[in-house]
Amino acid sequence: MIVSLKKMTGELKIEVPDLITRQLGRVMSDTIIEKMKSMHEGETLLLDFDGIEVVDSSFIDELIIKLLLLSRSSMFPFFIKLKNISNAVEINIDLVFNSYSSFNRDRMAVVTEGLCRNNCYYIGPLSEIERDILGYLRINKSASLDDLCRFTGAGEEEMRRTADELFSMRVIRRDGDTQYVPV
Amino acid sequence: MDSGAIVVLPDRFRDPNYFEDVIDLKEGIFARAKALDCSRISFIEPYSMISLILLGKACLRSRGERLKLVNIPIPVHQYLDRMDFFEGGVFMTDETLSEKMLYRRSAFSRSVIEITEIPNKERESIQVIRKVIALFRKRSTHILKYWMTPNIIEYFVTVISELCQNIYEHSMDSGYLAMQTYMMGKENIVRLVISDSGIGIRKSFEQRQDIRYGSVAELIEKSITLPISSKREFGYGLCQVNSIVKMLKGIIFIRSENAYVTSLYHKKMQDSAVMFLKNDLSSFNGTQISITLSS
Repeated sequence: MIVSLKKMTGELKIEVPDLITRQLGRVMSDTIIEKMKSMHEGETLLLDFDGIEVVDSSFIDELIIKLLLLSRSSMFPFFIKLKNISNAVEINIDLVFNSYSSFNRDRMAVVTEGLCRNNCYYIGPLSEIERDILGYLRINKSASLDDLCRFTGAGEEEMRRTADELFSMRVIRRDGDTQYVPV
Repeated sequence: MDSGAIVVLPDRFRDPNYFEDVIDLKEGIFARAKALDCSRISFIEPYSMISLILLGKACLRSRGERLKLVNIPIPVHQYLDRMDFFEGGVFMTDETLSEKMLYRRSAFSRSVIEITEIPNKERESIQVIRKVIALFRKRSTHILKYWMTPNIIEYFVTVISELCQNIYEHSMDSGYLAMQTYMMGKENIVRLVISDSGIGIRKSFEQRQDIRYGSVAELIEKSITLPISSKREFGYGLCQVNSIVKMLKGIIFIRSENAYVTSLYHKKMQDSAVMFLKNDLSSFNGTQISITLSS
């Protein structure tokens, strides 16, 4: 499902280019969650930021973090991808994810359609091996646990743990028990 | 009017630290002042100007009468008028400037955002924040002309949005915003000030028994370095603002109640910060924040 945030602000009679305030984040997340009722389990929600210059941390907390936490639910797992994000949007999301992760045992990351400032296709504090896995899957479209072990040099147990962690963060998909695909 | 009814304000309006000397006079002003003599003030910057409004507002609340400003030097009066200082009606003055003496609101003087009241109600406040940000975007090339780097406008949009939201979310009172680029000696300075006269950071965190701190300054430090919130499990606003000031290599000054924290980021050295914490200052309601860049 593709959601154009700019189009949605038009429907809500909010002027862009800035998506700011907690209140707006709440309104938009409620609207998106309502739309998501037509989504299938495991589907990708593509948030299109075209025309948006800034999102502040309150908005990120109410919209992106809320949706990411929701996507991790085992009742209705789905995936999130960001598209057309400006530098400022990326920087603000990254700062919030880093703050979240530094104060919490949990981590936050999200996949992007375009290349980010970290030269990767995601935002968030992932480790080097996790970054390599995402990069490998993006190029090869699919990988088994053995493929990932060979590519990274990690042992099977460690790789399974790492890949499962990435799946639980919803930055990669799992196809069966040992096959992984990109979001 | 007896002689005790006029308090002479010292020339301490150039910097947030200097303004502490004015706050120290607060009790005397509240107790007996009918008027504030401004004759010694040679310069006034946005933080001191807004703090003076907060002082006047607190006095108005406690005594039910407005303070009068007297003997305002012409340049100071011109500046205050340009910044809409008298619009809110917190102070009164008999002194007026002729039309010819007023600063013109031209392209030349677009390096300011005039004093804007941030209401304490969510709906009204959001409308004001949107208007202020639209005005800032319009004037940003003038305001930030010495600091133009990629994303700096967006950084300031984020900072304005976060700090203004804190007013209605946490302070339980209204506040003010102002921004200006000015010269101090050979240095260009841009200062954004967002202040309120609300309950302050310590009282806002009273419900969070799990957040431990030794002093108010320590709590302020925590609030800008950790994603803590008085209302929710996490809050990113001040932390985000501090990270942005760090990226811009600026200075953030936060005063609340009787303490302040100043965080200075070194212009040439990566990840080099100096943080000053000060407690046991004269008490002043609310939270006052100043963000400064210099070049």
